Amino acid sequence: MSVTRPVAVPGQVPLGTRVAKRLTGGALYIIVLVVGVIWLIPTLGLFISSFRKASDITGSGWWTVFTHPAQLTFKDYTDVFSNKGIIQSLWNTVLITVPATALVVLLGSLAAYAFAWIDFRGRDWLFVVVVGLMVVPIQVALLPVAALYRNLHIFGSIVGVVLFHVGFGLPFAIYLLRNFFAAIPRELLEATRMEGGSEWTIFRKVIVPLGLPAIASLAIFQFLWVWNDLLVALVFSNAKTQPLTVALQSNMRQFGSNIDILAPGAFLSLSVPLVVFFAFQRYFVQGLMAGSVKG
Amino acid sequence: MDDSLSAPSAAGDPPAAGPPSPIAHPLAGPSGPSGPSGPHPLAGHGRSPLRIPVRVRAGFLIPAAVILLGIIIWPAVDSIWLSLHNHDGSKWVGLHNYKTLFSDQATLKALKNNVIWVVCAPTIACALGLMFALLSEKIRWSTAFKAVIFMPMAISFLAAGVIFELVYQQDPNQGVANAVAVGIHDTFAPSSKYPGAHPRTDTAKPAAAGSFTSVKTYTAGSVVQLPLVGIQAAKLPGKAAQAAAPSAAPAPDQIEGTVWLDIIYGGGGTPNHIDTGKKGMPGISVKAIDTATGKSAGSASAHNDGTFTIKGLKPGAGYALEIPASNFAQPYRGIQWLGPSLVTPAIIASYLWIWAGFAMVLIAAGLASIPRELQEAARVDGANERQIFRRITVPLLAPVLLVVLVTQIINVLKVFDLVYVIAPGSTLPDANVLAVHMWSVSFGGGQDQGLGSAIGVFLYILVLPAMYFNIRRLRTEKKEGR
Amino acid sequence: MGARSPRFLPAAIAVGLASGLALAGCSSSSSKPAAPGTSESSASSASSAASSSSSAGAGTALPDLSGKSIQVLAEWSGEEQKAFQKVMDAFHAKTHASISYQGAGDQTVTVLKSKLAGGGAPDVALVAQPGAIAQLAQAGQIKPLSDNVLTAIDANYAQGWKTLGTVNGKVYSIMFKAANKSTFWYNTAQFDQAGVQAPKTWDDFVKAAGTLSDAGITPVSVGGADGWTLTDWFENVYLSQAGPEMYDKLAHHQIKWTDPSVSKALTTLKQLFGNDKLMSGGKSGALQIDFNTSVTQTFTAPPKAAMVYEGDFAGSVITSTTKAKLGTDAKFFPFPAAGSLANFVVGGGDAALATNDNPATMAFIQFLASPEAAEAWASAGGFLSPDKNVPLSTYPDDTTKAEAQMLVQAGDNFRFDMSDQAPAGFGGTKGAGEWKDLQDFLNSGDVNAAAAQLEKDAAKETWQ
Repeated sequence: MSVTRPVAVPGQVPLGTRVAKRLTGGALYIIVLVVGVIWLIPTLGLFISSFRKASDITGSGWWTVFTHPAQLTFKDYTDVFSNKGIIQSLWNTVLITVPATALVVLLGSLAAYAFAWIDFRGRDWLFVVVVGLMVVPIQVALLPVAALYRNLHIFGSIVGVVLFHVGFGLPFAIYLLRNFFAAIPRELLEATRMEGGSEWTIFRKVIVPLGLPAIASLAIFQFLWVWNDLLVALVFSNAKTQPLTVALQSNMRQFGSNIDILAPGAFLSLSVPLVVFFAFQRYFVQGLMAGSVKG
Repeated sequence: MDDSLSAPSAAGDPPAAGPPSPIAHPLAGPSGPSGPSGPHPLAGHGRSPLRIPVRVRAGFLIPAAVILLGIIIWPAVDSIWLSLHNHDGSKWVGLHNYKTLFSDQATLKALKNNVIWVVCAPTIACALGLMFALLSEKIRWSTAFKAVIFMPMAISFLAAGVIFELVYQQDPNQGVANAVAVGIHDTFAPSSKYPGAHPRTDTAKPAAAGSFTSVKTYTAGSVVQLPLVGIQAAKLPGKAAQAAAPSAAPAPDQIEGTVWLDIIYGGGGTPNHIDTGKKGMPGISVKAIDTATGKSAGSASAHNDGTFTIKGLKPGAGYALEIPASNFAQPYRGIQWLGPSLVTPAIIASYLWIWAGFAMVLIAAGLASIPRELQEAARVDGANERQIFRRITVPLLAPVLLVVLVTQIINVLKVFDLVYVIAPGSTLPDANVLAVHMWSVSFGGGQDQGLGSAIGVFLYILVLPAMYFNIRRLRTEKKEGR
Repeated sequence: MGARSPRFLPAAIAVGLASGLALAGCSSSSSKPAAPGTSESSASSASSAASSSSSAGAGTALPDLSGKSIQVLAEWSGEEQKAFQKVMDAFHAKTHASISYQGAGDQTVTVLKSKLAGGGAPDVALVAQPGAIAQLAQAGQIKPLSDNVLTAIDANYAQGWKTLGTVNGKVYSIMFKAANKSTFWYNTAQFDQAGVQAPKTWDDFVKAAGTLSDAGITPVSVGGADGWTLTDWFENVYLSQAGPEMYDKLAHHQIKWTDPSVSKALTTLKQLFGNDKLMSGGKSGALQIDFNTSVTQTFTAPPKAAMVYEGDFAGSVITSTTKAKLGTDAKFFPFPAAGSLANFVVGGGDAALATNDNPATMAFIQFLASPEAAEAWASAGGFLSPDKNVPLSTYPDDTTKAEAQMLVQAGDNFRFDMSDQAPAGFGGTKGAGEWKDLQDFLNSGDVNAAAAQLEKDAAKETWQ
């Protein structure tokens, strides 16, 4: 890559260390620990509940398993898997989520680049309108889009579900990426232009590598939102194309708290994103979070 | 390069003019402290944006534009049109729906709650995100820490709603929030021996603050019977024994009596009578109140068989007997998190639990893009860490913080799932927000597409301030950049 | 009960949305409206073995329908669909008609309406909303039942059930599967501990509550966080006090909610709702307890109340989420009579209707109206039939038996859930209308204010 990047001096102390220098190590770790516990407890409660029978869940708090480990059971999970459609629906979820994420990232970054670095008439107003589109609630679009899909004959298809997610993912994608892209040093773009690179080359060789932290964040968010969506899929998919969330929903009883179905469902649903993240940890966790793009 | 060159056709249209911010370093904000702020040495040689063919621009924008038009813009415009029609869209009603909207108490309540949300949630989410992002740069297990904070983002809203229904359960044996509250409370104020017990109404009447006073007045030297009910026989302490009648003739300066649980397991027995199977209530304290002065003249604690003797009274004087509230105080039941007054803060807390991770990730991405040279340069110039944070880090992060803040404001304006799932039906009107109200009106029973759409359009109007800030920022960028 | 489980937001959205779709898409024909969870099955083959039991002579006389096919639409899925399959199998064995089933969950009416408009309508549909059936009948979109079906109904049902399906003097539907919402569940151990018997009248009930309270046991668990439970409380009291005629008038808003009969019922309810000692958590606590919790907390260890009122479906909550056994730990008594009417049931159910008068269509409904069809499902459990000729011995356990018996005995005093008949804006919206007004009443205990507010909210809606 011909692009020069700001490179961290070897052996340099991370920024945060300096910022938080006045916090002594002990106090810092106590804060981190308390925050971590507060953040973990609600999920932990659901996680433990997913290993308890419904009658135990309603009878006592989840923390009682620490004194009564006999309550733990895999029954909730085997119940979920006994639903024949569950594997197909898991696959549907992948079929919906991957293209919906890829398209939002691709189309979003293309448009964001145009909004940041290609001049055209009315650009800023258009951009502000795109920002405003973020406020349109999904519920407003359900009926008109359903009618549109009916005419296009994609009602109930995976394509329809994907397109809807792309549509509602784009405004945030464009907004986020445009702001990150606009901060990329101009001279880097100009250098490529001078070398005769086309806009497409600039986009590929300069914008994408430098905007990677933002692009990766966006990809994660979009992936998770689509992965966990229930409402859109409930409306636009059918029995054959329904994702996991809808399949789990149809398992629920009309009455009863359904925690014994929801809890294992939530963790079954969570497992795939987790596997993806651990598999790509180098790119996501380190690359994005610890800031290895710095150098 | 100058203005006239870059945007000849856009005269009189300031926001559209000129190439965007040639900012010197990634994420430099309006007040980027150092770095080249003048024309870049290379700028003059750069290809003018003018020369980018229409085809190329279109290639970047059109795919997104087509999808946006079909999925969002058209439905949004459609909703404006619907908002001017009646409930099923068959009749034009002009602004009638908007009039209904603003004369409706429920809408105003929802609007008020939305204001609370917009003021609190985005700023706190940003502050938490910034704090977590900075903290995690400092600690060794930062990846684990970030994963923990980020995890709620990976859980569906439905599951998150259920999680917080669990957390906020009123019953301290179910809800972790109240389990903690009760645990803390009981450490400092242990509960009473006989919570909920009370006399039958014909023997004593409630007095101030949960105490009970006997209906009759007793003279010293007489006997008193104090039957209590309202607690389960099984909950008496193990040492409680068959209740015994007080001795027939107490000393003239004493009042003797029995306080017993007037209930037999499985029912039966005569009310107000010491039957076989009824037990005394050991440890209950009884006070004799001098009816002349209204002051306490003595007290006693009941034995295992329920008998007690109050000594040292004035022979012949009249006394009322009081059973103080301390015997009966109900156990602390925790906080009513989802009651009318706390329901909105409680739901905002669950929102922050989810979205702090979002803010943290974006701010961390911003931090990652800040070049180190600036801090190093400042340090060489003798700046201390605090100055570096305030003068360099924060200004450099400002654009990211703004992105997070604006996204959160917009997000909060249309918050829906959490409110609908967590709020119980009885306090939903107290927790109502516009998006939930819109849903109730247009789908959840009202079936009034017109009025529902009008609420939607009202939401679009509320986002205008956020858009205004963006326009201002775009202009500032331009000024700074040129 | 489809209209009444808005606990799960997405399901509720789907319902609301689907009706919106129906509004918006009346003209469109071909594609199916949103019907997630739709499932299809068929009995045209591989089903003969299952039904040998029902071929024992007697039964209903039905024509041979070889080569004919029937489509059925209903809300059932999962276990209920399997059980209904047995009913269809029995029909197939008798008539050789091939019969296919589609389950549409909460959206049965929407799917039915759009298919009626767009073509491909099912021959028979089982629908839980009497208002929707009346609407379809008035629009001429469904057919009156044939004389053969009417004969079967007359032979097997009390007159009241026939009236329930009558629109403009013609019978359009007959209830196949009923729900009993006049069951009051209690924890037997708690009753034993206080030496209390199941009360028969409201006065006995209040007295029993007092005895329980004295014994240190919270008498009643009220699920006031869900408004619909409170409407069911009201309906049971009102039906017993004011009688079926008044009930029907109020259900159609032909009398006002400020009528003295309403105030009387509210005053009666206040004997319970106005007394913090008698309800788990008191007033403010009751408003935080949803239906599910109200049931489970009555049967967990330690129990937080001795009794809880809700319909037969509370039994399924007890079995699925607590360790209590129905019939031993948990029993029910009929909702105590607050007035002179004693044998009454407030409830709901799925009624069969026909979209055409083909012989096969009518034959299937005739079959559904016979004891044979009911028996095919009843033995599997989770089913109550209003058919008086279904022997109680068919039901799998004593609890179901007693529920069914109540239903049959109620006969003409069965009334469809009032709030389910009302416009959804009044009788079916979280945080609004009747739900909200009764919650406010539970909180304030102000009878006159509650009646006035109920009338104000009812007056906003368009009633059928």
